[in-house]
Amino acid sequence: MKLKGKTTSMVILSTVLWVVITLCGWMGHHIVGMVLGVVLMLIHMMLGASRNGELDKKFFIYPLLPWAVLWTASFILSEYHSNLYGTAMPDFTILGFHPSFAWTVLTYWIGGMLTLTAGFVLYKDLWLSEEDWDNFRNSLQEINQKRGLAK
Amino acid sequence: MTNGAKILITLFSLGMIVISFLIGWWAKKKATTAELYFGSTGLFGPFIVGFSSMAAVASAFAIVGIPGILYSSGNAMTYWMLSSAAFAMAYIILGKKIRAMAEVGTVASLGDISDLRYNNNKWIKILMSIIIFIGSIAYLASQIKAGSELFSHLLGLSPMIAGFVIFGILILYTALSGEVGGVLTQAFQGFVMVIAGIIIIIAFFSMTGGFGEVLKVAATAGTVASGEIVKEFNAGFLDAWGIMPRSVAMTWMLIPILGTVGQPQVLTRMYALKDPKDMPKLGLYASLSHMVVGFMAVVVAYGVLFLVGKGLIPPLANPDTAIFAFADYLGLYAQLFVYAAILAASMSTASMFLTLSANIIARDLPSALGIKISPQKQINASRIFIFVIGILSIIFSLTSGNMVAILGSFGWGTLMSATFPVFVIGLLWDRATSEGVLSGLVVSLILNIVSLILDRSGFKWPGSVPWYVNVITASILVTVVVSFFTKGATGEDLDEKVKMVIDL
Repeated sequence: MKLKGKTTSMVILSTVLWVVITLCGWMGHHIVGMVLGVVLMLIHMMLGASRNGELDKKFFIYPLLPWAVLWTASFILSEYHSNLYGTAMPDFTILGFHPSFAWTVLTYWIGGMLTLTAGFVLYKDLWLSEEDWDNFRNSLQEINQKRGLAK
Repeated sequence: MTNGAKILITLFSLGMIVISFLIGWWAKKKATTAELYFGSTGLFGPFIVGFSSMAAVASAFAIVGIPGILYSSGNAMTYWMLSSAAFAMAYIILGKKIRAMAEVGTVASLGDISDLRYNNNKWIKILMSIIIFIGSIAYLASQIKAGSELFSHLLGLSPMIAGFVIFGILILYTALSGEVGGVLTQAFQGFVMVIAGIIIIIAFFSMTGGFGEVLKVAATAGTVASGEIVKEFNAGFLDAWGIMPRSVAMTWMLIPILGTVGQPQVLTRMYALKDPKDMPKLGLYASLSHMVVGFMAVVVAYGVLFLVGKGLIPPLANPDTAIFAFADYLGLYAQLFVYAAILAASMSTASMFLTLSANIIARDLPSALGIKISPQKQINASRIFIFVIGILSIIFSLTSGNMVAILGSFGWGTLMSATFPVFVIGLLWDRATSEGVLSGLVVSLILNIVSLILDRSGFKWPGSVPWYVNVITASILVTVVVSFFTKGATGEDLDEKVKMVIDL
């Protein structure tokens, strides 16, 4: 996925998202704000994970996209089950949790953490490979030599 | 609590303080250069840095304050406490860029990175340093207050004596070994927190029978009263949102997750990592250890709700005592680990912010003002400032309760409002200009102070959104908008090496 040339648009989009999310908070649209928050985080991770202006599609498909789906689903399902039962005892639980809170535990916390962290470990070379790092250091060295600097 | 229990808790906690001191003493021989003393730059592996980052992030408030908030308002705060994915996210966003900056030039502090990115713009460095310094002192004072009052209450000592014993030793080893000792002792303290967390989590399950039993109790307990203290229960209290306005839950998801990448205790640890390719492992260790500590805070709150709902203990007059009520009910083993965990949390966060604030005064501000000091003199000056700031903080935090509470408002959000424009926007976007970032910082500083004044005067923000969200949004908006109309530190004015970091 080529991001070169799109970085400025993505930064503008993320700034607009900050403003819209804040307004959502002011006006009580918390679910819209939370889902847009996921988009905001996704944009930042896409920019951070790109190498020379290119984000590897594999890294986007896993872990970034499943993480975004998990969190979006988590917030929507929490809201749904909260509204469904109100203050009454729900007629089922998930691992003993109120179904509304179970999504926080299973998809936001455990699912989100495992997806993002395990995916990052598994596909670390798509984020920064040995070759990327060596090339970066070699290029630095060349520039330093040209300028007659130690570092 | 029996005297025997108090003696054991004291010995246990004292053991932890002594081990921390010995680690710090040993580490001083490693702190041989300014880069190592101030930043531990490129020194440690992912396990040490991961536990250290988690311990510095999880403050005493996380162990004591969060269970109290969960007990009194339900699950909304779990979005903050169960934000373990934030570490991997932070490293994906900024890990390689921050670490790579340490290859571009001498990096021993966040101010050094700002210098490299914005061509030694002194105003950016000064303003960022001031905001981070305010946030650091706020964190430091609240950790000292929490740790000192805890042991003063336990042992019947004056808080000042408890404060000088615990944090006096911390000041000593921090001054001797700088960030090298800081990172190592925080990793050890993080390990203590994780062990305590595992024990408390097991104790919760064996006491309650699991979350389903707590939910049943919440659904059936109704109103529980003891004198004038009343606790209302219903099953909805344990849904995802609890009884806080749901916009607050939104904030408590967004700010800790995206805010982690802007916390100095995470940013500075990125360049402490020896091999940048270990960043994913660092994310794994930090996240896993955070999972245990975060879950501990949740089970403590659930445990106390269970005990109160069943009538085994009276409703809490002060929700902040939730963790002590839980440990007291479980008995000596839980008390031992709970006190150790709180002490570890307060010490690790305090040492992090003590070195950070001293480094700002001894290194970043003088260099921003054009005062040249040799690296060895910087280290000596920092040692003196660690003593001065540490001692003043102990006295201040234990004699000015109201001021500590006011300063306590400057925490996570304040730090984020200063670092987000400088590092996150600046290292992801090559068109972020020095004028834009400087404008964002000016807005951040002014709005932080104005918001605090408004907040103290009882002003209610729309939708109950915490004020720092507005400040962060405003500082980002101003940074980006001003960047479109200015050019500083971009294009040909951007160092070729820094451009390579942004593209990496």
